[in-house]
Amino acid sequence: MTTLDRRTLLRGLLGGAAVAIALPPLECMVNPNGTAWADGSIFPKRFGLWTWANGTLPDRWTPIGAGEGDAWQLSDQLAPLAIHKPKLSVISGLEVKAFNSIPHYSGFGPFLTGLEQIGEEGNNTFGGPTIDQIIASRIGTDTAYPSIEAGAWYEDAISHNGPYSPNPPERDVHRLFERLFGPTFREPGTDAVIDPKLALRQSVLDVVKGQVDSLNAKLGATDRARLDQHLSGIRNLEQRLARLAEGPPDYAACRRADTPPTEEELADPFAKSRAIADILALAMACDMTRVVSVVFMPPISNYLFPGATEGHHQLTHNEPGDQPTVHANTVKAMEEMSYFLSALDAIPEGDATLLDHAIVLGTSDVSLGKTHAIDEYPCVLAGLADGALRGNVHYRSPAENASKAPLTILRALGIDAPSFGVDDFEATTTVGALEV
Amino acid sequence: MHLRRPLTPLLTVCALAGCQTALPDVTPSPPVLRTLTQEQYAHAVRDLVADDVYVPSDLDVSLRLDGLEALGTAAVAVSPSGVERYERAAYLIAEQAMDDDHRDAVMPCTPADAQDAGCATLFVETFGRRAWRRPLTDAEVGALVEVAMGAAGVLGDFHDGLEYAIAGLLQSPDFLMRPELGEPDAENGGRRYTNWEMASRLSFFLWNTIPDDALLDAAEAGELVTTEGIDAQVERMINDPRAHDGLRAWVSDLLQLHRLDDLQKDPAVFLQFTDGFKEAAGEETLAFFDDLVFTRDTDLRDMMTSRHTFVDRTLARLYGVKAPSRDGFGPVELDPEGPRAGLLGQASTLAIWAHPTTSSATLRGKFIRGTLLCDPLPPPPAGVNTSIPEASPDAPTLRDRVKVHLENPSCAGCHTKMDPLGLGLEQFDGVGAFRTLEADATIDPAGDVDGVPFTDGADLGVKIREHEGFVPCLTSQLASYAMGRHPADGDEAAMTWLTDAFAAHDHRLLPLWMEMAVNPMFRQVGEVE
Repeated sequence: MTTLDRRTLLRGLLGGAAVAIALPPLECMVNPNGTAWADGSIFPKRFGLWTWANGTLPDRWTPIGAGEGDAWQLSDQLAPLAIHKPKLSVISGLEVKAFNSIPHYSGFGPFLTGLEQIGEEGNNTFGGPTIDQIIASRIGTDTAYPSIEAGAWYEDAISHNGPYSPNPPERDVHRLFERLFGPTFREPGTDAVIDPKLALRQSVLDVVKGQVDSLNAKLGATDRARLDQHLSGIRNLEQRLARLAEGPPDYAACRRADTPPTEEELADPFAKSRAIADILALAMACDMTRVVSVVFMPPISNYLFPGATEGHHQLTHNEPGDQPTVHANTVKAMEEMSYFLSALDAIPEGDATLLDHAIVLGTSDVSLGKTHAIDEYPCVLAGLADGALRGNVHYRSPAENASKAPLTILRALGIDAPSFGVDDFEATTTVGALEV
Repeated sequence: MHLRRPLTPLLTVCALAGCQTALPDVTPSPPVLRTLTQEQYAHAVRDLVADDVYVPSDLDVSLRLDGLEALGTAAVAVSPSGVERYERAAYLIAEQAMDDDHRDAVMPCTPADAQDAGCATLFVETFGRRAWRRPLTDAEVGALVEVAMGAAGVLGDFHDGLEYAIAGLLQSPDFLMRPELGEPDAENGGRRYTNWEMASRLSFFLWNTIPDDALLDAAEAGELVTTEGIDAQVERMINDPRAHDGLRAWVSDLLQLHRLDDLQKDPAVFLQFTDGFKEAAGEETLAFFDDLVFTRDTDLRDMMTSRHTFVDRTLARLYGVKAPSRDGFGPVELDPEGPRAGLLGQASTLAIWAHPTTSSATLRGKFIRGTLLCDPLPPPPAGVNTSIPEASPDAPTLRDRVKVHLENPSCAGCHTKMDPLGLGLEQFDGVGAFRTLEADATIDPAGDVDGVPFTDGADLGVKIREHEGFVPCLTSQLASYAMGRHPADGDEAAMTWLTDAFAAHDHRLLPLWMEMAVNPMFRQVGEVE
């Protein structure tokens, strides 16, 4: 194979204008029939983390019956997911084996990281990288974006690279659109655009990396870890610059996302979450990323749902009786998660859909919000991971370690993980009932 | 506006009062590495280029630890999406710096041709010294000039090429972070912050931005490792308009005014929560402190009691006073006998520390305890139902309903420290409107702070002002903000000294700034760990 030296090519360009050039297609980008992926058969597996706030009402969350197919039925709270039931499993009864001292974080942190929660109340951090980042470090390294984070309301991050290292969810839908489908996006079938400025930007990043390295040499271990994080972000950016020089993607379902609704129309988190779903689905269809996370609402969200008399968090504690409004809020969250799953399921990939090749983990910061409970931990696994998961299973767990769910996800995504979590949180076995 | 005011350092005050004058001993703490906040980044760009330069918002995540962004900046890492946003911002800013409107102001030379490496070198040296708050090494200058010349070659234009050097300067950790690692201090055998590091520490502390040339020149002259040199600069700095930015930054961080941005209130419940409420509420508090500190240079404790505040039409309606002007803000005197006074009577405090449809005695009490008295309370234990009963004829007011907190032993330990304080503000609803009734029952705003009785919200402010924990807390909050870390055990003598100095200066903030700036805990540093 001939090596295409892009730097040589660039040196020949004068004046610096971006010019469209019909480049010889790179072999690694081509597939035999133009409809499948690079190697012609195997679609990549994707992961999505979809989180809502303040948990569930376990009595109305837990599915009816257990087993596969008709052996179980969705509960009141899960009802909005009915159209996805064939491709969706629920694990109920899991317990985060933590000392529950920091409400809304003591369970959420270990469930997402396998590590003990750190910090004080109100300090939004986790003990280590969250599951989306653990997965991104394994299946996200070849794409322009290792992962993309978006949020429908508050700025609080769920995705973390490590302690005190949050990935801020993009809350501005138009900015998310610009970032992924703005001027740098190339429609499939168009010519590659060679922009000499990409190489210049790379030369700047070389200088920046040098500065990071020389500072790093003077720091203690904790700050070095922060700078290493910075460096890894720079490498991601370099990879994106390289991708931009490569020409448009060649995937059947890839196209530029539709221009998002107006800011006015996006004023509520429901509209926002749907616009985010539409954009992220196409970002994955174009293989710009294989890992996404959506923060519908972050822990302890006190969002005032339409028609509610108090903020969400406040209601979980104060609403008397069987908490009809708290119930309604969770149902509304499930409606939004259902929309997200539908967006993925609408992307055809071969004779299946993107959702068939993905796993979406739906979870929250607590189970019963009223008491900040972390047993009966909410856990929905949608998507079939390209045949690794059976789908349509309700597994009723006898209060097993909640880390079994993340481990099941890792293995279903083809990641060779002997275990998930450490100490009390360590799981070495998966939820076999979900697996093919 | 430049204010000239004589500052009397503590050494002089103490000569008159006969108190201890020598600076205190400290056991220095290891350095912290802070990132620039969004606002510091924007101010730095303003100072480097011009104040009409567009700077994108939300460049990276803002992390708060123990309520303060100043502490979060010492722990947070630049995120991958932050790297991307900083890159985009750097090119947007570089392009503006080199456009026709701004080029002349930032260029120290006129290039002879596109490959004028001499002019590029001069630019990188001068612009770089300000952006990185220190002289660049020859190797650093060389690398950036090479980038600029390479880009100028490809693009065929000197200034277009220089944009790439600017973008490099603005993306480097030397700009985005504050590496302050110290140097050996021959005088005491320990370590101290270098002159250049002190320039940055002073400017971010007092101005919330990068140092100006005068401060860098003082660093270059070796003046910022002496008490006299620091005194001279601080006196200059607090008479500079940027000191107002510095005060606003501290107040915003301390009071978590960012919470106004995402504040959600039910407009059907709170008719006064109109467009412009959030901005007005924040601006009142900032103008109030600016007046207290700069215009009147008075006792900072008056923040709890002052009736002299600033309102626009929105807040005038909320407070039931006559709007001082048709547009914008103007000063008003609140009723000297009324229930509304000081910070606790302001819409920002009352609305932030409340729920979307109701007030909250617990959130307000927790704010007073944690932020104003530095007595943070642990979260509620797990497995406890934290609900309070619904309003009913038997329990119409919040005071009636939170009784369960105070009667249940597992709640009372903490809630007796919070709820009674917050109940003192119950005559103000969830956005700060005054009321005397809740569900047709009379609201009783009386209570006590650690045994000291108060009659209503205004009197609560008086009692907090006199609380033994209040002044040490303000001092400690300021020290944490200035240092990016909590005062440590090794700073105990320095903190006592600082609190005493605050009192000796009649609790005025500007002298406290000066005493903080010369304080050994601000100037000495331990080994990197």
